[in-house]
Amino acid sequence: MVCGLSGTVLVGNLERSARRAARWLVERTPVRGIRDWGIKFSLWPVHFTTACCGAEFAAASAPRFDAERFGFLPFVGPRQCNLMLIEGTLTRKMAEAAVWVYEQMPEPKFVMSMGACAIDGGIFWNSYNIVRPKDILPVEVFVPGCPPRPEAVARSIIMLQKRIERGESVGLRV
Amino acid sequence: MSGAGSGERTLELLIGPQHPASGHMRLVAEVDGDVVVRLRPDIGYVHRTVEKIAETKTYLQTIPLIERPPLADTANHNLGYVMAVERLLGVEAPPRAQWLRTLLAEMNRIHSHLYGLGIHGIMLGSSTAFMWAFGDREIMIEMAKRLTGARITYSYMIPGGVRRDLPPGFAEEMEKALRYLERRLPDYDRIFFSNPVTRARLEGVGVLTREDAIRLGVVGPNLRASGVAYDVRRARPYAAYPELDFQVVTRSEGDSMARMLVRVGEIRESIRMIRQILARMPDGPILAERYAKMIPPKWRDYVRETGRIKFPAILASLRPPKGAEAVSRVEAARGEAVFYLVSDGGPRPYRMRMVTPSLRNVVLFSHLTRGCRVADIPAIYGSLDYFPPEADR
Ligand code: SF4
Repeated sequence: MVCGLSGTVLVGNLERSARRAARWLVERTPVRGIRDWGIKFSLWPVHFTTACCGAEFAAASAPRFDAERFGFLPFVGPRQCNLMLIEGTLTRKMAEAAVWVYEQMPEPKFVMSMGACAIDGGIFWNSYNIVRPKDILPVEVFVPGCPPRPEAVARSIIMLQKRIERGESVGLRV
Repeated sequence: MSGAGSGERTLELLIGPQHPASGHMRLVAEVDGDVVVRLRPDIGYVHRTVEKIAETKTYLQTIPLIERPPLADTANHNLGYVMAVERLLGVEAPPRAQWLRTLLAEMNRIHSHLYGLGIHGIMLGSSTAFMWAFGDREIMIEMAKRLTGARITYSYMIPGGVRRDLPPGFAEEMEKALRYLERRLPDYDRIFFSNPVTRARLEGVGVLTREDAIRLGVVGPNLRASGVAYDVRRARPYAAYPELDFQVVTRSEGDSMARMLVRVGEIRESIRMIRQILARMPDGPILAERYAKMIPPKWRDYVRETGRIKFPAILASLRPPKGAEAVSRVEAARGEAVFYLVSDGGPRPYRMRMVTPSLRNVVLFSHLTRGCRVADIPAIYGSLDYFPPEADR
């Protein structure tokens, strides 16, 4: 496509160039800062319980610990979520579902894994039916504990927010 | 869609495992319009091979392991397992330890029931019930933390006794907590149980008749809500239960509402029991003499002063006699749990079998949902207080 703009002539695909320019702009400091600030306070974990850590995760969303004050509210559909929290052991059967759910989430998306099990098997390290989340998903933050206390979950959320702010977690699959 | 165009009119709906009302499982529902023709629970998403792993761990290391599947209800399962180990070894915990075990078991029953209530609330779309139940649950968790040092995974009971004695001032704090809970229960009644929406969604939904309940081998509050007064604490009393005065809460309706109200009744009974326990707790040691005398002398003063057991080395390598077998039954919060242990004389169990209440209640999914509406599925699921990791182990 060729298009004239007050004397200058642009050659090439305008639409594609515009998209590239927009992406370039979004990655520049002021815009990017605003974007990351926005992402930071709207982390929506998908409602996906994988094992017993879910009990403490529920407690983290409950009144005493209230993770919602960090902009963190479990939501139903993966299509509207940008954070996946692996709540404990991933069994083989569950791992398959986890990957499906992850792939349905729009980018940028982040993965946190909660509990010793989700780090390296924890108490179930020698089980024949578990998968280590780091082998199948790009995990950004690990929360140790068995189960981690709700405070630890809150802290890990803040850690993820800091990482996003500093641009260490971009949430894109590379 | 199963058989579209071939004249069939049912549709197969997959609910979960990523669904707020499915927990860690998938429900495969065959629906005809809005009516569920058949519902098949697809379990096994949290099968972590607990029984097999138990064969690779020593008797003491297995305690945290068996606590993981029923995470909201650890103390009762811990008690069941430890009772089986004690039978293998032929030791008995001293009376004070028995009472402390019962104390923690009842505290756990309260917060486990509140957990179930909260989850049921969220499945019905009532955030208030979830927030309230989870908030009030924290009170019992906090008290349990003072006693054991952990929020929910206590590992408090060890073969021959318990890990810690009552901390100072515990009884007074507990009394405050119990009074608060008692004050709260009528609030729940007003906001949630007698709420017209809750009643419309739960009353007459998922009715389990007395005969079916017995025939299907259902356990726990789900059984008692159908009018069967079976409770292991009464039928085969263990720990300090023979000396406590409590009622087995039953209801006759057998619907989802009844199952929920039985749990609330049990919370009230547990509150009564905790009061009795704290008032009548006997004095004495908290670890069986046989192990207590193996605590190194330099630690004995510490144990006496702080009430915290320093594990004698023997506990790390308990070796029950070869060929010994033991079975124990406890009434966990969700129903009867059975533990079966076989020893081959080594430091690890030869076989550990763990029959959890959720495993025995899973049959209800297909039984109760036949002919119900799709919207009733969460209402029924929530009322069963089914915890998938516990069933899958
Ligand atoms: S880390 Fe502990 S609590 Fe969490 S899933 Fe694993 S065993 Fe369960």
